Formats: sequence, structure tokens, C-alpha cells
Amino acid sequence: MTAHRNLGFVAAASTLLAAAPLSAIFQRWTWLVQAAIVVAVVAGAAALSRLGRAPLWGQILAMLAGLTLGLTWIFPGGTELLAFVPTPATFAHFAELLGDSVQDMRSYGVQVPDVDSLLFLAVLGVGTVAVVVDVLTVGLRRPALAGLPMLAIYSVPVAVYVDSVPATPFIVGACGYLWLLVTDNVDRVRRFGRRFTGEGRDVDVWEASPLAAAGRRLAVVGVALAVALPLAVPGMTGGLMNAVADGTGDGTGRPGQGGSPGRIDLFAALSGQLNQSEVTELVKVSTNESAPFYLRFGVADDLNPAGFRVRVPTGRSVTRNLPDPTERGGRGVDQQRYRATVEVTKNLTMPLLPVYAEPVKTEDLNGNWLYDPNLQIVFSNRENSRGKRYAFDYVRSTYSLGVLRAAPSLPADDPVLRQQTRTPSVPAVDTLVAQLVKGRQNDYDKVRAIYDYFSVENGFTYSLSTRGGTSGDDITDFLATKVGFCQQYAAAMAWLVRAAGIPARVAFGFTNGSNSNGRTYVLTNRNLHAWTEVYFGGIGWVPFDATPAAAIQGSVRSSWAPDTNALEETPSAPGVNPSAGPIDSSTGPNAKDPHEKDADQGLSVGANDPTRQSPVWPWWLGGAVLALLVLLAVPAARRSALRRRRRARALTPAATVLSAVPGPRGGARDVTVGVDAERARADAHAAWDELLDTLIDYQVRVDRTETPRATAERLVRESLAEDTGAMTGVRLLGRAEERARYARDPLTGEALHPALRSVRTTLAARADRRTRIMAALLPPSVLLRWRTAVADRSSRLVTTTGRVRDRLLRWNPRRLLAGRPAR
Amino acid sequence: MTQQTWDEVGGLLPHDEFRAASEAIVANIEQVIEGKTATVRLALAVLLAEGHLLIEDVPGVGKTKLAKALARSIDCSVRRIQFTPDLLPSDVTGVSVYNQETHDFEFRPGAVFANLVVGDEINRASPKTQSALLECMEERQVTVDGVTYQLQTPFMVIATQNPIEMEGTYPLPEAQRDRFTARIAMGYPDAGAELAMLDGHGAADPLNELRPVSDAATVRRLIGHVRQVHVADAVKQYAVDLVTATREATDLRLGASPRATLQLLRTARAVAALEGRDYVLPDDLQVLAVPVLAHRIIPTADAQLARRTTDAIVAELVHRLPLPHDRKRSPYDTRPAPGNGRGPYEPRRP
Repeated sequence: MTAHRNLGFVAAASTLLAAAPLSAIFQRWTWLVQAAIVVAVVAGAAALSRLGRAPLWGQILAMLAGLTLGLTWIFPGGTELLAFVPTPATFAHFAELLGDSVQDMRSYGVQVPDVDSLLFLAVLGVGTVAVVVDVLTVGLRRPALAGLPMLAIYSVPVAVYVDSVPATPFIVGACGYLWLLVTDNVDRVRRFGRRFTGEGRDVDVWEASPLAAAGRRLAVVGVALAVALPLAVPGMTGGLMNAVADGTGDGTGRPGQGGSPGRIDLFAALSGQLNQSEVTELVKVSTNESAPFYLRFGVADDLNPAGFRVRVPTGRSVTRNLPDPTERGGRGVDQQRYRATVEVTKNLTMPLLPVYAEPVKTEDLNGNWLYDPNLQIVFSNRENSRGKRYAFDYVRSTYSLGVLRAAPSLPADDPVLRQQTRTPSVPAVDTLVAQLVKGRQNDYDKVRAIYDYFSVENGFTYSLSTRGGTSGDDITDFLATKVGFCQQYAAAMAWLVRAAGIPARVAFGFTNGSNSNGRTYVLTNRNLHAWTEVYFGGIGWVPFDATPAAAIQGSVRSSWAPDTNALEETPSAPGVNPSAGPIDSSTGPNAKDPHEKDADQGLSVGANDPTRQSPVWPWWLGGAVLALLVLLAVPAARRSALRRRRRARALTPAATVLSAVPGPRGGARDVTVGVDAERARADAHAAWDELLDTLIDYQVRVDRTETPRATAERLVRESLAEDTGAMTGVRLLGRAEERARYARDPLTGEALHPALRSVRTTLAARADRRTRIMAALLPPSVLLRWRTAVADRSSRLVTTTGRVRDRLLRWNPRRLLAGRPAR
Repeated sequence: MTQQTWDEVGGLLPHDEFRAASEAIVANIEQVIEGKTATVRLALAVLLAEGHLLIEDVPGVGKTKLAKALARSIDCSVRRIQFTPDLLPSDVTGVSVYNQETHDFEFRPGAVFANLVVGDEINRASPKTQSALLECMEERQVTVDGVTYQLQTPFMVIATQNPIEMEGTYPLPEAQRDRFTARIAMGYPDAGAELAMLDGHGAADPLNELRPVSDAATVRRLIGHVRQVHVADAVKQYAVDLVTATREATDLRLGASPRATLQLLRTARAVAALEGRDYVLPDDLQVLAVPVLAHRIIPTADAQLARRTTDAIVAELVHRLPLPHDRKRSPYDTRPAPGNGRGPYEPRRP
């Protein structure tokens, strides 16, 4: 049974090792923690069932039950008993997660963030593999077959990655498999008897060797340090623990608004909070258009009560001919062809490419990139935008008010109308829309009425977070509190427009930002933005940005959708006003807006404007260098402090004679007594210590078996030859030290410091340059002293813990079983 | 003969007086033994340490000459015993004979009743005879027929012997060897000294012209001086460490006895005094370790097979034993550990 238990453990561990390739798919390590929990539960269930001598099917049932419990605990649906006993609703939740995962697999490119659905899929997969491996290895004794499910895990990154897959995780997985095989083999051999090493020792008998014990202790301390240190040091929490902290804590399944800089969650929520504080450069775009409208990359048109959601795009390759919007053009629609070059940084990893509407020709993009003519976005199922460079031609359409007003309403059976006007039924919204569009004849006037409704006069303000409401509907709450950021404005306007029976959707992209250089715009995560697009019959999708312009850097307004909060409306003229008119930067007429301090940076926001903030890293770097220098200077400072202290002793020789004591045979003998003898002794010791330190600094051998006299003679012989000053100096020091140590009365009245100095000078002159530099900067004597102190301290610690352990072992229950033969 | 007690002899002599007396003896002996100053001084140190001296070497290097020169330099009673295989214990200690005139037994002292006893070729006598010296050497008394006779002070046995590999000898028993404070080897003289010896000894034996330069009273005063030499606690500790090391050494079957510790320290006092110091240094112990300890210990069979002499073993112990530090200080040792390559701060050789 012991062997089986051991084998089960190895099976679980090797399953986890085999899951290593999944690290290539996920951005963070949350999956590993969760998978480890589930695998541990499965292994524990298997061990328990075997302990109860359950048959194989019983073991399988136990493991499946363990898997279910573990999954329920990690991915709760909210209806569980005691947090881990699943209810039918839990399985419905699981089915929902699985359904989401199918969609998320399409919408995310590798590497994916911690999304509950994908985590669920991964953990479920690993847990199932753990069950299968356990059954094959322990139950059926066919560990070689266990390689197949393990290989299945490896096939996941292979399928997902277009180019090559990193090899290291595969090696880890292979090691796990080999471990499993070896353990099984050992187990087989053990059934015949005992295994011996060549030294005649039993292999399986655990013998406590002090070295191994020390090693184990070191390992435990090291692991503890490695875990504790990143937690303690601020700024180092981007790793596993962080992932654990918010990965398992936030299991509600809705993508947060912040997200990581690499991925933008294309979800126009009707409530939420912006919490992204870092500034990351995402896209650099240059165009020959003078004041381009927003760069756009995504569209959400699937409306549910929480907001707009992205649908799976469909389209064909960008390398083929793209639809030409000029065919739609007519009188009053001004269409110009421009050219833009986009450079995506490594920080943006999405299966979408930002383009200006509407692209007609692309360059430097391969056939993996597709264009959805409906959504007007460029996407890929296999690649992502990370580090891409490309150019494209696009056609910019501007519309005169007349054309828009003349646009016919769509017929009731139009597919666009049917699809894009579906709204959940919220009475408050319907009432409001009915009120707003009352008396408006054409679509444009209705849309304008709704657009104008989101103005300061009506109490709408910009804020980084929405306020909670009581109605239970996010949309009603927003319309009541009138506080939010671009997502809410874009989604709410789209909803209202849809409620008015006009197709509308939410577009995602970048504003023009504040960091432009001529016609090149550098766009960061703070320039992320969302706005509304409305469909007009015979014209197509026309953008409206309902978010208060004052709060948004690089906001662009068009003549058909002017800034509703501007003090004076610019005269409505056909086309885009080429001057500064349509471009309301945040320093525009609304600069005094009380919410200006909350200047929008798009979808995400931070406390400070990145361009005005002076960079911080030089300070950090300078501080780090300074700290390093200070740290390096500590040994040298310690050394010089020691030297100064000892020198202060040696500079004031103790008094020669304090009292004359008559000798035993009548003659007077000079004896120094009392404090000054002690003082002279201490002086001699100080001088001798200084000499030894100097020797170590200059890498001259120091020998504990040598007496001071012998040391002095050896120095004279070996290190100080031909320098009489130093020779007499070192002999004097040796004599002083030996008198101080061994004689009745120490040597007094001698100037030890000059002797010391001459010895030091001679030693320095004879040492090579490297030794001299080391002696000055990193004195080996100080390092040695510290090292000795640390070694002493740690050995004392080991002794103490060993004693404590011995004492504790007295209460070990194993001692009671000591008489029983082992196995 | 009445003797002064040690209190009457007194403590430390003035520096010059001690120096003059000791130097005179050394110079006197050196008239006979050329180029062996260290050996001569060691022999004198053993005398001043109230010990006994074993001179061991091959024949013809001047063992007996050194013994006799030392004896003659001091004006005191000197006896000589030639140890032969047929020598009896009573020849050494003395015997009671019947006096017909007084009708009583009368004790006739043996050869040991003298200040200096020169035992020549001690290992040629049988162990029975050698054992006769046991009591007198340690306890400085002789017990014959139940009567104990005290010996004089100073009392010193200077024995010579050939190394035990030579034929027709009985090795000294362990107890006997332990009673000798030091064993010294004469060694061959160097070329210059041998040449000078040819010149000096060609015509007449200089031993015959040797005149005493000191007397028993002076020697007693010198001994009194030596007894007062200061020994710091650290030095005592070092002596104990040294002797303990011989008991714990893996190469040794038998280590040195506590008597060895005592005699080591006594001899060290004498050596220190002879060097003009009034305190003992660990250096003195290091110098004396081989002469004082090496003849008392017995190497293991393995060490004997490896041809390791006791001298070499003791010398290695001395080399390995760290000094006791008498105060709190960090113990530096940058010496390479044996068989462990470079030490941490051994100077790099380019």
C-alpha cells in the first residue's frame, strides 16, 4: 500500500509537470495554482479511496468527485452549499463557463489573461488528465500509457501557436513522465525484496545525514525567502502571488475594465471603474490626413443589460480587394483617400489591428489578417498585433447635415435594422427615448436629440467611476446618476438610439491623444476610447462621440455631431472644418470645466498626465547606484573606523612607571600597576589586531598556531625583507603583544603606531595593485570577520534548532511504534 | 649536610646575576663540546628544571663527554655508573653491610648519592637494575631495608644510551622513560666544529682541564630563580592543550602523562630564564615539545609501519595546534587546511 500511495503522489506530481506547456498560453500563473489545487484534491481522493481498499471503479468515482469538488470551490457559481458542494445551478454555471470559453478562445490571442472561462477549461483539462494518469498508473499499472494524456496537454499550445512553441515546458513535462516511469520501475523491483546501493546500504532506509539535513534546511529557508521577499518589497508584486491574489479572489467572471496593458477588453460596460495607473505606449500612427477621426480597432454590437459585447467577426483576407466605400458616396458626402502607417508596440497583444475607417488597401499584412466589411475591423484568428508594422489606404467620409437628414429610415425587414436595434426592454429608457424623439421627423434629428441629451446642461459629467444606483439596471442607474466615462456614454447613446429604432453600435479605438508630432500620433493606453456609431440608410455607419469632450485629450468632433457643451456652436457647415473648430482639445473652451482634473485618457486612466510628468526612473537609478555605492563603502568605512580607534589607542602610550617596588633582593624593580598596565596591554592587543588585519588585507598568511614572536619573525623573513624600519617595527609589535599576553607586566613606553605604519607601508609597497585596491575598497579582514560572525551565528542557530527538534521529537508518536519492524 | 629550604634560597635573582652564572656554565661546557650550544643550554635547562636528562644517540658523538662536562663544571658531588648487563640494583642504590666492630648493619650509599649522577649506557643494564633508579629519580630518595634516605639538591641523573636498534641493549621501560624530563640527541657536529674538535682534542683531552665554574649552592639559587618565572594562564592552557593533543592523536597509542605536563612547564621556565625572560612564552613550549614529550609516547602500529618517528608526530602536533587566545578576539587562521588546497587568504602566486 505504501508503494501505491507513493506512486499516486508521483502520478499527480508528474501530471502537474506535464501541464507546464500551458504556461506558454497564459500570461500569468494563476492556472498553475488552481490546477495544483485540483490535482492535489484528486490525488488525495485517490489515496483515501485506496486506503479504504476501494475497487478501481470506486477509486475513479472518488477522483471524479474530488475533481468536481475542487472545481466547485475554485469556480463557484454562487449557489454552493458550504462553498464547495455543487448544486445543479453550479453545473449550469460550469456549462456557461464552457460556452464562454469557446468564444473567448476565438476572441483572445495568445497569451491570454486570466479569464475565468479559460482558466476553468485549463483546470478541468488538467484535472481530467490527473484522473486518467492515476487510473493508468496506479490502477492498471500501465504507466507508459499515461504519456498519452500528458501529450494531449502539450498539444494545446502546439495547436494554438502558429509559429514554434517554446521547448522548455515540454522538457519539464517529459521529466515528469520519466519520473513516473522510474518510480513505477522501482516499485516493481521492490516487490521482489529490498534494493541496495553498492555500499550495502538499503536504498529505501532513510538515514539522516547532517549534510542532507543542512541541505534541507537551506532549501526550506531559501524557498521561504523567495516567496516572502517579493511580497515584502514594494514594486515586486507583478508575479505569481499577485496572480494568485486577484486571480482566485475575483471569480465573478466578468472581465475587469482595467485589464493588463496588452489586452483591451472590448466590452462597453454600463458601470464600472477605471483603475489603470501605468502609462504604456501602444500604437504609433502617422497619416497624411490633417485632423483624422479616431483610430479604431473594435466594435461591440451585441447588447445585453450590462452593456455591449463583441461578436465574433467574419470576413475575408485583407490581401484581397476590400470593399470601396466611394461606391456609396453621393452628393453631400465628401470622401477623401488618405494613407496611414501604423506601428504597434509590443505592449498591445490583440487579434485586432487598429485602422482608420474605412481601409481600402493594406500593405505588409499577410493572409492571416481578415477584414470584416460589416464591422469595418481588421482581425485575425491566428495572429496578434504585437509589434506589427503596416500601412494602409483609407477613405474618410464626411457628411453634410442635409445628406444625413435626407437619409431614409431603413425598412422594417432590413437585416441590419433587425439585428442592430435589439434592446432589452427597460421602461425608463423607452420613456426617455420617446420623450426625446418626440416630434423629430428624420433619423438624424432623432439621433441628434439623443446625442444632445448627453450634455452638461442635462447634468451629465465625466468621472472615472460610475455611481451605484438602486434600480437594478445599469442603464437606468447611469441615466439617473449621469456620471461615467466614455464606455457608459457610448453604450448608453447606442442603446438609446437603438431604442429609437435606429441601428447603433459601440466602436473602440484611440483618440488622437496629446502626444502628436506633426502627423505622427503616439497613442497610449490612456488614449483608449469608445464611441457610438449610428447606421443611416444609404450612407452607412456614422460616428458620434457623446462623451464630454472637455474631459478627453485629443477628442475630435464632427460637424454633424458637434460638442454639445461648447459655449458657442460652430456654424454648421458641410464637411469637417479644417481649422481648430472641430478639434476640441481639453484646453478648449471648456477648460474651466470642474471635471477637468479628471481629464479622460480614454478607456483607462491614471492620476497624472504622462506628458507633463517628468520621468521618475533616473531618480530611481541614481538612488540605486548611490545605495550600491554606500553598500560597497560599508566594509571600507568599517575598516577605517577600526583603524582610527586602534590608532587613537596607540598614539598615547601608557605611562611607563607608576610606582617603584623594591625587588626581593634589595634592588628596585620598576613595575607598572593598576589601570595603566591594563591600558598598555590593551594598546598592545589593539596594535597586534591591527597588524593581523593589515596582513589579511594584503593577503599575507596568518597562522593561528604561530606565537606573536614567530609571526613577527616570519614576516621579517618572508614579507618585509630589506626594510629595517619595518623589521624592527614588526619585532616591536610582536614583543609588545607577547609581553601583553604572557608577561607579568606589559611593554610600555614604546610608540607602536609608527611601527605599525612602517609595516603597513612596506606591505602595501610589496603587494600587487589588485591586492592594494581590494585592501582599500573591500578590506578582506572586515569581510572575513563578518563571514566568521555569520558562520558562528548560523551554526549556533543550527545547534539550537537541532536541540529544540530533539526535544520535540521526544513527543513524536513514531517513537511509540519504534519496536515495530519497518515494512 | 644541611640544606636550605626553598624559602631560604629565595626567589628571582637580579637579571645579571642569573645570566652570569648560567652563561659561565654554558661557556665552560662549550670548551669541550663544540658547536652544540642549543643542546648544552637544553641540558642546563633540564638541570635548572630539577629534571633528569637522557642523551640518546649513536656511539661516538659525545654523549658521555657532555654528561661529564656538565658534571665537572659544577663544583658538587659527581658519581658515575657504568651500566653493564651484570650491574645489580644494590650497586646503584647502596647496600647495608654488617659492621663487626659495631655489631650492626651499616648503610653504604650507592652511586646515586650525589648531586650529579652520570649513568653511561643505561640501556645495557638489565631492566631489573634500571628499575633501581625509579624511586630516586622521581622522589629524590632511596629506600633500602625499610629505611628511606633523602638525596641531595640539586640531584640530576644524566643517562646516555644508544638507540634501541643497537645490539645487546634492553630498551628502557615506559615508567623509566617517563621519569626523564627530556631526551636529547647530540647529532653529528658540523664540519667546522669537527675541525675545531680535531685541533682541540688532538693533544690532550680538554675535559681534564675543565675547572668548575659554579657550585651546588649557586645551582640551588638558580633553581630558585627558575621556580619564580611567571607562567600566564594562556601558556598553561597551551601546555595542557599540547599534552592533550598527544593523548588524542590518532597516530599515538599512548600519549604523554600529567608528569610530562609538569616537566614541560618546568623546563619551559628554565629555558625562559636562560633567555633572560621572567615569563614563559608559548615559543618555549614549542621548542621543548619534542625533547620533553617525544620519548614518552608510543606510536600506533600503523604509524610505526609508516616509519613515522615520535619526534615527527610531536612536531606535527605542535604545528597544527592553535594557540589558545586569552582574550576575546576573532580567531584568524588563513593557513591552508591540511589537504584542502588554498586557504581563503593565502597570497596568490602569479
